[in-house]
Amino acid sequence: MLLEPMPLGPMPLPTPLAPQSDRLDFLRQKIGCIENSGPPAGKIRFGDNCRLDRTLHGLGRGVLHEIAPASASDGAAASGFALALCARFKAEAAPDRSAIIWIVEDFAGREGGAPYGPGLALYGLDPACLVLVRTASARDSLWTMEEALKCRAAVAVIGEIWTLEKLYGLAVSRRLALAAQAGGAGALLLAAGMAGGAGRLSSCAHTRFEISSARSGGAPRGSPLSGLPLPARQELPQPGLAAWSIRILKARATGPAAGADPIAILWDHDEGCFRDAFPLRFSADASDRPDDPAHARAGRGGGGETIRFRQSA
Amino acid sequence: MRAQEGEGAAKRSVSGKAPEPPRATLARINGAQKLAAIDAEGSRLGLRPGMNLADARAMHPALICAEADPEGEQQTLAHIADWCRRFTPLAALDAPDGVMLDVSGAAHLFGGEASLLAEIEERLRRQGFYAQGGLASTPEAAFALARYGEADFAARILPPALDAAELERRLGGLPLAALRLEPGTLSALAEAGLRRVHDVMMRPRAPIAARCGLALYARLDGLMGRGKTPISPRFEAPAFMTERRFLDGLCRREDVEASIAALAQDLCVLLARHGEGARRLEASLFRVDGKVMHYTVGTMRPLRDPALIARLFHERFEALSLAEDGEAFDAGFGFDVIRLAALALERKDPEQTGWSGQDGAEDHAQDRGRDLAELIDRLGARLGLRRVTRLAFNGTHAPEFAVIAIPAARYDSHHMKSEWPRFAASSAIGRQQEKEVNPMPARPIRLLERPELIEAIAAAPDGPPIKFRWRRVLHEVAAFEGPERIAPEWWRGTAALTRDYFRAEDCEGRRFWLFREGLFDRETARPRWFMHGFFA
Repeated sequence: MLLEPMPLGPMPLPTPLAPQSDRLDFLRQKIGCIENSGPPAGKIRFGDNCRLDRTLHGLGRGVLHEIAPASASDGAAASGFALALCARFKAEAAPDRSAIIWIVEDFAGREGGAPYGPGLALYGLDPACLVLVRTASARDSLWTMEEALKCRAAVAVIGEIWTLEKLYGLAVSRRLALAAQAGGAGALLLAAGMAGGAGRLSSCAHTRFEISSARSGGAPRGSPLSGLPLPARQELPQPGLAAWSIRILKARATGPAAGADPIAILWDHDEGCFRDAFPLRFSADASDRPDDPAHARAGRGGGGETIRFRQSA
Repeated sequence: MRAQEGEGAAKRSVSGKAPEPPRATLARINGAQKLAAIDAEGSRLGLRPGMNLADARAMHPALICAEADPEGEQQTLAHIADWCRRFTPLAALDAPDGVMLDVSGAAHLFGGEASLLAEIEERLRRQGFYAQGGLASTPEAAFALARYGEADFAARILPPALDAAELERRLGGLPLAALRLEPGTLSALAEAGLRRVHDVMMRPRAPIAARCGLALYARLDGLMGRGKTPISPRFEAPAFMTERRFLDGLCRREDVEASIAALAQDLCVLLARHGEGARRLEASLFRVDGKVMHYTVGTMRPLRDPALIARLFHERFEALSLAEDGEAFDAGFGFDVIRLAALALERKDPEQTGWSGQDGAEDHAQDRGRDLAELIDRLGARLGLRRVTRLAFNGTHAPEFAVIAIPAARYDSHHMKSEWPRFAASSAIGRQQEKEVNPMPARPIRLLERPELIEAIAAAPDGPPIKFRWRRVLHEVAAFEGPERIAPEWWRGTAALTRDYFRAEDCEGRRFWLFREGLFDRETARPRWFMHGFFA
């Protein structure tokens, strides 16, 4: 295996693979040159201490990410997730980069609705930054997406493409990835028509998300915080923040199967960041609760000298 | 003004051999079928437009007739007018059968007025049109000479600056119809025994004007060059244009693009000299067989860079060659004239470049702005300007009209300042509190182009929905917020019903914006439900 001649005499100690690792480095460099991968364009965080960050270690700029809905009626959820990512890209971008380019294929627009300015403004995305491109076919969309990604003024590009399967593959995704690398914008390919079929995609994208909507776990009506009177005859709760259950099908940065389990996450549109989703009101485990409230109060007030452990049987 | 009149009758000429029967087109006027247009053979045989078909058939049973197609004729005439723009940018339609060209300052390019007129007639004849032109200093005189002038070619050209006596001699012999008078006036004059132009000129004005109106004399003055009438060209003459003519037609797209790139160089020199930049550019390709194609590209900011102009047209042609249904880029037998014109201009002062170090950040931001503008131009050229849009708030409560998509090329800073509404539930509560009361945004991120009718079940006719079926799938409401009542804009006179909007979340967490149309018992007995938008 090694190219050096074997020395005679007593067997040498096993070398700590130094020459081989040099060679590996050299090969890596060479492949790097072929792939023309420059320094990574940086990453964004999903939010403060969010589980997606812990799983993926941030989301790369200048690389391609794919987003697909898990079922046919999760289209709006998937586009909402893509828009939330755009808002994150924008929040962490240089101030001179501001344009968000959203490419909507005509059919996707008819099926899932057109982007709605007032709603986007409330969602945490300034509609003044948005350039909306309507395309007639998937071919046009892919061309537009590639052109848009090369533009250095774009902070994120969403390509919402309906009939993706026929055209999209390794070569096309490679073109998009190279364009994204050249421009440095976040590239989000929204496979709107591939509900539940994200597993069939084969591409060189860095990340692939499958999005399904999740119950927002909203507050019951007339919560004491609001101070409003409880309306009569209304048992159903109010919906809350946008929530998703996300499966990461592919993550090149962190190796395979980064998160096979769905991750529950929600979008705080006021703060402009993602947060882990958990029920807003949950009771602590019985074992974590103090059995004597009076004691607990005393403990808290007394500087912490009273520490109660559970006794083992 | 030297104006020239080419009469392009909308009929194909037939070869003048004797056995060929006459042809005519028919129009229905006052319930009777009359001849609308007649070919040369027919007029030689004594047929006239306006004759009854029965009379014409009685004279010449072999007459071949076809229905007149006024719209098609107008279209053909418009094509001829466009084609004539290869001689001068100012070409006007002179319905129903003529084209008026303003050739001031253009004739010398074609070797003088006589050879220009000869060339126009000859080229139209080769395309299969019988055309007769006249050239004079006023539109009226050109009109008269083209339609009623002699067959002799030289007699139909009226040199400039003739003295009154000579003018009278040249034009006096024309029939009065050459003045383009109302049929009533014409017949009244004919009854009085006045048939030629000089019959009217010789007589005192007042009695004739009293009887026939002043229009007659306005026309006459125009004819004699004593008044001025403008022509209204089909297209405004561009401020700057460059063109190239080729002996052989160019057929390959690459050659066309290369010559546009070369023209762009010349155009940009012109623009730079005047300190202007182009906002809209048009390339006109004149095909050898007479078809003219115009391709327009718009830009977001004044443009004066030949490479960028060439690139925009490249995208435009690329889109054409990819289009499956639209008209393809059809070179036919080639293009012999290619013209590039700047249709809309905007002041563009030279940019200061290379002032390095001072305000690099600002330069950077400018670069980015330019990048975006160039991208939008490129996308617009390829996909169509109306497909690249930006959103602006329209200042109305009606959800479907609250936002308008403006073509990005026309988007400017005043749109950017439009304030998007915050939809606070009540002004009394603060933002943080509002978020706790009502965490869900009040408006959806996507809105259906038109609301879709759904079946919904509500607990009460005026209550929130419990279940609804949309696109054949049943959704059960697990959480909701509403109603938000949006009344129609009565001051606009719309007959729409009041809408109660609900934000509803189903058991899987999908979130919809739906509304009930009509107030129960007050506006309608059976309110209908519609799906209108989606939340993330």
